[in-house]
Amino acid sequence: MLSASRGEGTQEIGWDFEALAMPYVDALYNTAYRMTRNAEDAEDLVQETYLKAYRYYDKFEEGTNLKAWLFKIMKNTFINNYRRQQQAPPQSDFAEIEESFETSVSKEATGQIKSPEEELLETVLDEHVQRALDELPADYRMVVLLADLEGFSYKEIAEILEVPVGTVMSRLYRGRRLLEAAMLHYAQGRGYLKSGDQPHKMRSRASSGEASGKQASEVKEFSEPA
Amino acid sequence: MDCKHLSEIVFLFFDNELEEEARRSVLEHLDGCPGCAREMDHTRRFFILVRQRCVRQSAPDHLRLRILTSFPHRQRTA
Repeated sequence: MLSASRGEGTQEIGWDFEALAMPYVDALYNTAYRMTRNAEDAEDLVQETYLKAYRYYDKFEEGTNLKAWLFKIMKNTFINNYRRQQQAPPQSDFAEIEESFETSVSKEATGQIKSPEEELLETVLDEHVQRALDELPADYRMVVLLADLEGFSYKEIAEILEVPVGTVMSRLYRGRRLLEAAMLHYAQGRGYLKSGDQPHKMRSRASSGEASGKQASEVKEFSEPA
Repeated sequence: MDCKHLSEIVFLFFDNELEEEARRSVLEHLDGCPGCAREMDHTRRFFILVRQRCVRQSAPDHLRLRILTSFPHRQRTA
């Protein structure tokens, strides 16, 4: 722990820490913002991450990955402070998206070729990407952010999340597939899209199917299609 | 490598998580399999969407200031 009693040396370590750790503030904030889904919580989360990292900087092994270490501290802080309060967004269409995703997986497993999606990808707008990412269940959102926005390797993500590499791979697989299904879902004009658009949601399944009981926050471990 | 195996490791290919040998056999398979090549192209476009079109939020200046001023080494030199 860095304490005032250590005097001059501590001062230097403090400046070192600042010089090495501050370049990651944008990356940490971007991830924090996407995990908490609001600026105020994201700012508090990043601030607390830096305070903890500063305090425990002597526990950081020099020569190892500082960026991954900072993300690990932020992940733990997020779980402790925010995770329990996290609610599925009230307007989430994820029950329906997951259901259509299951259908497409079983089609793939039986060898049916999917092709309409290929053209549909062209119709996906930035806002569809944002929206789909924001609504992805938290465990999947985290691995997708770490892999696709921050460029961490599977091994680094496993260290940050403190899970086996196999879990990282299965969450990434399912998370990306769900993300793609959600992007296409919004691009097809289902769900709420642009602000100002007339919402024309298709909720036909939600009232009758099993999907109605599903929460978007409910995370199932991915299992390979048979 | 068959089509089913390729579909299982397609993300590893894009994430640069494959050994050189596995990477080569993916490329060899794609040369002779238009269906998988199409699927790979689709996945590539998906990654472009996510990686390049996702708007990044920069840390606001007041947050940087708040973090910096909270560091003890700065408080003592202020």
